[in-house]
Amino acid sequence: MADVVLKSFTKKYGSFTAIENLSLEINDGEFVSLLGPSGCGKTTLLRMIAGLETIDGGELYIGGKFYNNMPSQKRKIAMVFQSYALFPHMSVRKNILFGLKINKVPQAEMSRKLNWVVNLLHLGGLEERFPREISGGQRQRVALARALVLDPDVLLLDEPLSNLDAALRETAIEELKRIHRQVGTTIIYVTHNQVEAMSMSERIALMNVGHVEQFEKPRMIYDKPKTVFSGEFIGSPPMNFYNGEFHIDDVSTGIMTSVGFLKLDAERASKIRELHGRKVVVGVRPQHVYFKGHHARRRHTDTDIELTVELIENLGDRSLVVGKNKNGTILRFLVTRDDELHIEDKMSVFADGRKIHLFDPSTRLNIFD
Amino acid sequence: MASIDRKLPMTAGKRVIWITGLFLAVFVVMGPVYLLVKYSISDIASINTGGEPIPLWPYNPTLSIYAYLFTDARFYHVIINSIIISLSTVALTLLLGVPAAYVLGRFKIPGRKTILLGIISVRLFPDIASVIPVVQLFIKIGVYQTYFGVILAHTLLSLPYVIFIGMGAFESIPKDLEQQAWVMGANRFQTFIKILFPLAVPGLAAAAIYTFLLSWDEFIFAYFLSLGKQEIFTLTLYLNKIKYAEPQNLLSAISVCLSLPVIIFSLMVQRYMVAGLSSGSVK
Repeated sequence: MADVVLKSFTKKYGSFTAIENLSLEINDGEFVSLLGPSGCGKTTLLRMIAGLETIDGGELYIGGKFYNNMPSQKRKIAMVFQSYALFPHMSVRKNILFGLKINKVPQAEMSRKLNWVVNLLHLGGLEERFPREISGGQRQRVALARALVLDPDVLLLDEPLSNLDAALRETAIEELKRIHRQVGTTIIYVTHNQVEAMSMSERIALMNVGHVEQFEKPRMIYDKPKTVFSGEFIGSPPMNFYNGEFHIDDVSTGIMTSVGFLKLDAERASKIRELHGRKVVVGVRPQHVYFKGHHARRRHTDTDIELTVELIENLGDRSLVVGKNKNGTILRFLVTRDDELHIEDKMSVFADGRKIHLFDPSTRLNIFD
Repeated sequence: MASIDRKLPMTAGKRVIWITGLFLAVFVVMGPVYLLVKYSISDIASINTGGEPIPLWPYNPTLSIYAYLFTDARFYHVIINSIIISLSTVALTLLLGVPAAYVLGRFKIPGRKTILLGIISVRLFPDIASVIPVVQLFIKIGVYQTYFGVILAHTLLSLPYVIFIGMGAFESIPKDLEQQAWVMGANRFQTFIKILFPLAVPGLAAAAIYTFLLSWDEFIFAYFLSLGKQEIFTLTLYLNKIKYAEPQNLLSAISVCLSLPVIIFSLMVQRYMVAGLSSGSVK
């Protein structure tokens, strides 16, 4: 077990810079996700930690040791590839023991570890099967078992659940959390799936075009997106964004946008008196827009937004409503399935002033950060 | 329910033409094979008929000539020569070709295309044209009229195939497997021996058999490289030497012995050969 420190990492492919001046400090035993859209450099970063890509700039320390020039073979890491990379000509047992054999671990130790991992990952009875003879979920567990028997300081997982169907993925997420609790290894987990990242990791490093946008607890990223990108990427359905202008006077404080006047809560309003007239980007989550019928949630500061229902998407327990105001601006929000709504209905909604996010239009950073 | 007849309707005249054509084609292909087999099992009376037309099938089919052949010391000697040379060629070709195929198939080497063209260039000339410089070179380096010279020449001929088929075999192994082995602590050599080589074996086996067959029935290079040196004659050269001197049934029996491994191996690895050749050539 060890901590992982990345200091101003850089990776270049010819003239293309894949990763630029990226720093991260991952604690010993922590479960961290590298989350981001495809092409953001998250897999490249993982492969740099694994030693499969050269580090063009910056320093890598694992457990306090300088790792930059350490070949993959010598790094105390284990990795699970997206494809699982099980050796097709070896049985499950031989796959699991491969690394131990290469490292000349004594026979007794090997069988003890095999037993341990077979129990941990419920692989009993599959030892003599070949990868082609087991299911996708079992393959994923074998790949994980093969990594865990090596007692790695750091376990690197590259989208290990992306080849599983939804139900299996759900169980695999629970399994991974359980294993992390039992084994306690530092885990770096690459994914583009926010649900996986949110539900498993202790901290998420949200990545975008080669840098880290925000590195925090999942909840914090959701509640306090540091940048416009964080707000856009995290949360489902995605946030509504509007360009607006601060309007601050003695009567009310809020932002004038094309969707309507969005009032701010008093506490935050008091902090930004001097911003009157300034441009701002407003983000409103669909979860924080309320249908007028929900009186209990209504507060006196909220203003009504008049909309016509354009589309209703059924999400099961709730529905996503796409509404349009008289300017033609669209607002997406959620209603419960008991709310009887129909296309073309006129309705009135309000956004929770405490939950709207404000970003500087030029720096794209959260104004209240 | 009656099954639907998918065949196109054909007039009687057309049918006759088609069937005649088919028979002709089969006759042209199978004719020599028929003669070969027929002569090899003929009794003397069916060959020396004393003016009578030679019968379509021997009067008394017999395997006695094969029995004789396997007591003939000269035949033993050349068939063992052939086996020594073919197997050695396979060994040497794999020894040189597999590492080359691995490197060319897995690494980005500057000038890779030029190297590949150079490797295949031996086969761009007709054998009869390239044999002369090869003989001259082999005389200079002192391997003329030796087993090793013939083995070396056959290696030269089969290397391009082994490299190309081998490259295909190595290229088709996912890179993840190799990198997974590295991350688990295996060095490049261990990765090659434990992961890449076993996975490339089907393709390499096809290449090995191809090499064996090439060497087994090669004539031109073996002929020029062992001119006048009968001790190292292969089966093909022996057959060439005795072609006018021996009775037809003996010649035919030797020809059958020469052809049999070719036919058996070709049928065995037909599927691999097609896969191997195409995976090597088409990327």
